Amino acid sequence: MALTPAVLGMLAFTLLAFWGVALWALARTLRQEGRKVDILKQQNRMDTYSPKALAELREWIEQNPDDPLVDTARERYNECVEVLRQTDTHYYDWSDEEIARLERV
Amino acid sequence: MADVPTKTARAEWGTRFGFLMAMIGAMVGAGNIWRFPYVMGNNGGGAFVLAFLVLLFLLAVPGLMAEVALGRYTNKGVIGAFREVVGRGGMVGFGIVVLLVNVALMSYYSPLIGWTLYYAIHSLLFTFTAAGFEAETFMESFFANPPLMIALHTIVMGAIAAVLVLGIRRGVERLVVYAVPALVVALVIMTIRGLTLPGASEGIAFTFGIQWEYLTFSDTWIAALGQALFSTGLGWGIALTVGSYLREYDDVPLGGGVFTAIGESSIGILAALAIFPVVFAVGVEPDAGAGLAFISLVQVFPEIPLGGIVAVVFFLGFFLATFTSGLLITEVSVTTVSEETRLSRTQTVLGICGGIWLLGLPSAYSADVLDFLDFVFGNWGLPLATLAIIGVIGWILGPERLRLLAVNRNAGIYVGKWWDPVIKFVIPAVMLFIMGYFAWENFGEPEMIAGMFVIVLFPIVGYAIMSVVEGRHGEPDSAGVTGGDD
Repeated sequence: MALTPAVLGMLAFTLLAFWGVALWALARTLRQEGRKVDILKQQNRMDTYSPKALAELREWIEQNPDDPLVDTARERYNECVEVLRQTDTHYYDWSDEEIARLERV
Repeated sequence: MADVPTKTARAEWGTRFGFLMAMIGAMVGAGNIWRFPYVMGNNGGGAFVLAFLVLLFLLAVPGLMAEVALGRYTNKGVIGAFREVVGRGGMVGFGIVVLLVNVALMSYYSPLIGWTLYYAIHSLLFTFTAAGFEAETFMESFFANPPLMIALHTIVMGAIAAVLVLGIRRGVERLVVYAVPALVVALVIMTIRGLTLPGASEGIAFTFGIQWEYLTFSDTWIAALGQALFSTGLGWGIALTVGSYLREYDDVPLGGGVFTAIGESSIGILAALAIFPVVFAVGVEPDAGAGLAFISLVQVFPEIPLGGIVAVVFFLGFFLATFTSGLLITEVSVTTVSEETRLSRTQTVLGICGGIWLLGLPSAYSADVLDFLDFVFGNWGLPLATLAIIGVIGWILGPERLRLLAVNRNAGIYVGKWWDPVIKFVIPAVMLFIMGYFAWENFGEPEMIAGMFVIVLFPIVGYAIMSVVEGRHGEPDSAGVTGGDD
């Protein structure tokens, strides 16, 4: 059986879809880890949510005030807000305007 | 109790790389090496790859994110994590189900690791390239030697105990950060050797040739489903346990989900590239399982230049793949029992490994027992464990809560609302389908009856044990987290 263009194309696609994605994920997560270590060396604390994830957490807290886990959620939300206000370097892509608009819940 | 040492703070992975390699080391096992390449080639090649990839992203990636996140959120082993979600009482017994399945799995996996150890030792002795060597006779005489099998099973469990006694960072992590890259290097070396042989293109065409019609066959999707779920070890308690040792600022979804699912499958792809070009170049029939590793490949090594060295590389890599899986399967029980009792880690390791060794004797004695247990637990026991873990996340803790509180916290990628219905509905439905499908396929067979026995008995035993144990510590309370979410 010869190596047809279709077989070679599938081989290339498979390598890209598996090894490409796996190596991308490995490199990205190790790079992120390096950045987290650098930030923690500087200021000992770090923001824990991205703007999108924190907004979603706030929305959930407001919509579920009686949920048994709402206190944990509130604690995590407020912790992130405090860190964002008190630190200069942020892990996620927060702008000064976004941080200024944040309020504790 | 003065001589009972106080347990110190919970261990953590020393490095991000250590956590990632532990996940890959746990999930890459014999199936990636001796099953995946054949299943792929036999189910439409490229068509199977597409079906497999879709199911990986649809089920395995979100499922692993959930399991790792539960471990990280609770910072506990299986039983502790269940208790945190369902509250004290008999329902914690579903964690016992996961433990029982893990112990059963390890009881027949340890003898299998012994097989790979035996072949690795013989590869180092260059037995396979010696004059007059007969692969089939060699394997048959090996399988017909129970004392040798039991001795290998004993060595394997002893070695696993020796590593686990050292702990998470000094034992497990220190080994996997070398073993997993060594496995990849071994497969790469074999791939290069295979691809440079005349006739290797036949193997590539068998594995990566595209037969689109296979996408319309239900068998292709069932095979891809089995591979996506079983190969990634989703819901066996391993990801939960490994995730419970994550550090405060560690990410879950990118490393525990995407990298683990796709990375471990990548090793299966690499195994296909390493094995089939060599097999086809020599003109040996492709096969799966013991037939592939212990007969087909062993017949191939004498026929190729540097075959003795290639055999060493392959069997050492194969041994590492199975050994690291065994290590982390055992760690699931060690972590939980150590947390739930006053036993020290060393006492727990010795107790668990001793128990698994004892339970593994029948499988070490007879490969037929091993095959029977593999079929029963592969088709019903492991899906039951997955159902217990994903069920507790989907229907009691609630996927939205877990996503907001643990998955997206310190995350390397954002996970959106699409994830919630996958965890709550899709994965449990798929697991029920798998158990039902295999029960229907094997209706009335002894394996199916044993499988039903596991499905019914394990939850009852788990519930009964935890009802008694939890009752001793006061009145069972209602769950701290109820109702789940949508």
